[in-house]
Amino acid sequence: MATVVGALRQTRVALSGQLGAWVFYGIGIAAFVLLILPRIFQNPVLFLQTLVFGLTDGALYALIALGYTMVYGIIELINFAHGDVFTIGGMIGILLFSLLGLVPNKAASVGLLLVPILIGITALTMLITGVINVVIERVAYKPLRHQPRLAPLITAVGMSFLLEGIMFVWHGPNFVQAPDLLPSARFSLLGANIDTRELIIIVVAVGLMLILNSFVEFSKLGKAMRATAQDRDAATLMGIDIDRTISVTFFIGAALAAVGGLLWAFYYGSLRYDTGFGAGLAAFTAAVFGGIGNIQGAVLGALVIGLVRAFNDGYGSATWTDVIIFGILILVLTLRPTGLLGMRVPEK
Amino acid sequence: MIHHRALKGSGLVLAAAVLSFACGGGGGTSGGTSGGDKGTIKIGVEMPLSGTEGSQGQPILKGVRFAVDKAGGSIKGYKLQVADYDDAVNGVHDPQKGAQNVTAMAGDPKVLTFVGPLNSNVAKNEIPIASDAHLSMISPANTGVCLTKEQPDSRFPFDAACGGLAAQLRKGNPNNYYRLVTTDDYQGPAMADYFLQILKITKVAVASDNQTYGKGIADAFSAEFKAKGGTLVGTRFDYDQQNTNDFKPWLTSAKTAGAQGVYVGGVTSTKVCIVRAQMQGIFDPATPFGGGDGIVQDSECVKAAGAMSTNVYASIAAVDPTHVPSAKATIDAYKKANPGPNDYTAYSIVAADAAGIEIAAIGRAIDAAGGTLPTDPLKAREAVRAELAKTSNYQGALGSTSFDKNGDTNVKIVSIYAYNSSNPDDANNEPWKAQVNYGDATPTVQTS
Repeated sequence: MATVVGALRQTRVALSGQLGAWVFYGIGIAAFVLLILPRIFQNPVLFLQTLVFGLTDGALYALIALGYTMVYGIIELINFAHGDVFTIGGMIGILLFSLLGLVPNKAASVGLLLVPILIGITALTMLITGVINVVIERVAYKPLRHQPRLAPLITAVGMSFLLEGIMFVWHGPNFVQAPDLLPSARFSLLGANIDTRELIIIVVAVGLMLILNSFVEFSKLGKAMRATAQDRDAATLMGIDIDRTISVTFFIGAALAAVGGLLWAFYYGSLRYDTGFGAGLAAFTAAVFGGIGNIQGAVLGALVIGLVRAFNDGYGSATWTDVIIFGILILVLTLRPTGLLGMRVPEK
Repeated sequence: MIHHRALKGSGLVLAAAVLSFACGGGGGTSGGTSGGDKGTIKIGVEMPLSGTEGSQGQPILKGVRFAVDKAGGSIKGYKLQVADYDDAVNGVHDPQKGAQNVTAMAGDPKVLTFVGPLNSNVAKNEIPIASDAHLSMISPANTGVCLTKEQPDSRFPFDAACGGLAAQLRKGNPNNYYRLVTTDDYQGPAMADYFLQILKITKVAVASDNQTYGKGIADAFSAEFKAKGGTLVGTRFDYDQQNTNDFKPWLTSAKTAGAQGVYVGGVTSTKVCIVRAQMQGIFDPATPFGGGDGIVQDSECVKAAGAMSTNVYASIAAVDPTHVPSAKATIDAYKKANPGPNDYTAYSIVAADAAGIEIAAIGRAIDAAGGTLPTDPLKAREAVRAELAKTSNYQGALGSTSFDKNGDTNVKIVSIYAYNSSNPDDANNEPWKAQVNYGDATPTVQTS
């Protein structure tokens, strides 16, 4: 028995490194060859179409997952309220658009102004949602920063219910419809019928991830974030304002979630007070899957989840989708507890 | 059973004793018995009367009042009154509140029977309490299969997973629950027959929200569609309404498999109309989309479906009063008495018939008791309940009604409607398209 446990532990240690990555990629390639490749030959158009849907769904999950992963990376808090921050961001965006008369089921009559309006309102939504998240952090998490880990976890759960409650009072139990403002033109790509909205979402998500990545890598604030994540005390000694750095992290996470919320509403057509619960769970799963604290990992995890969901919904049976996603998650995490690309969390 | 018979027997003896004092009482409804010299009988109405469903509950209450007025406000020397009970809490129907209302009715010796409730899950909480009080009830709207029977119609077999609910609810008491709409097991097959016979489409993709109601009507649709020569294409999509947001991968694969139409079992709040919206760009807007009464006459569904909201077909498990020639006089009289723009719905006339059946049963119970009902409310209610169970060929606005041994109406008609506008304000004006009659061995689809 002891030898089995020991062997298992050794396997895990070995798999956490480079070897594990190769094993995982090997399994991935094998699954691709066995399950996906025959589908490509069977009907390449359907395959490509499903691929685009999966990438779009994954890109939307990624925008939420980045907030989870950044917050966990810096203060090791699972911010359960993040999914609801995403929803409230989308609803604020819908409100701002409606103030300009851009409401659902009415043709937008703003013509060439659409692009500046889209960008302007999105920026304003990011700002407002970011500020909300900073306030949430100050009120519910900061006072508990030096308390046992469970305390802020529970305030995060509480904050999640509070936000859902506010949205329920605001909009009731029905779906809140969004105007369809993303330029939607369909074109044929190798026979597949692609919507420009799908490309916009994928490009925006990947672009924001690249900007975020270089911000964290190269900017002064990004360096402060990494230093805070690595060793908070040492960072304080180096003159880094910890509170401000954590606030910036929450702000950026919420701003990205707000973009996600708006794109989600445009693409799927609506949001409801509890949309963030399911979406947040998927995004959090993606963040852990990719290696929590790791920005590229969160995006990779989200894309994998989006693709598995789309391919299983398209080719398999929907009742199995969640079983398969979480089955893969359990398999990956038992073999490789640090996730696909490795965790980046504070050192002890 | 025996115990109750003994009670009723003694009631008859008592009634016989006072028979000599009571006047003949025959033909008394319109015979100028304006006063309540024998006392007052109350007919309860148990509905969500406020909140979002108030717009459905109020026209039903008005329908019952209309029927009582039509009976002259009295029956064989008793004064008739309508007692209304609201089961909405915070704007939504509430099973607990419904149970409290029935307890209140059971505590009022004048309430002998009632019309309600609107929602099947409220009925589930009410039947046991009403059953103990021998309080009979007729719902003008419940379609849940398991409230009255263990198995769906054997022509449309699917697993309704009732688990003996109907028997549990009645706790061994004689049946006290009746309804004037038919059950969910006919809704799916009706749309299947409509798709095949009228829309002439033979390849359909089917999905459901994987909940009891949605999965049930989708299963029944599938069984009938296959049995009548149609083909189900693509994979059956039983989605998780919380985690599934993107229906396009499934819709695309269904389209690739040759689907000419889509049927989804579920309700507006479980994303059924969002599935329709996401058909945009994959299917032509003319492609028919079918669903049950979970999406019928619902402005939220039209909002969710957006530009794709036309050619959305939905069913109601009841006859449409405007398509029953004999109902016209009643509808006109009702509208004259209730001229408000939101006073009339199809259920107003159903409710008027429900109250009419109850008034007729009260009348027969009075006659059977020799002109005066027992003073013990339990005995009086049991007398009314027993007569209600015997209802046969009642001639109401909607035609002839009898109850089967489960308490279900023998009228097994499903009406089909289609949204013809993407304007949510037009949701109630969803035009009638057809009705499918399962009362006969071979169902017929009528489009006029």
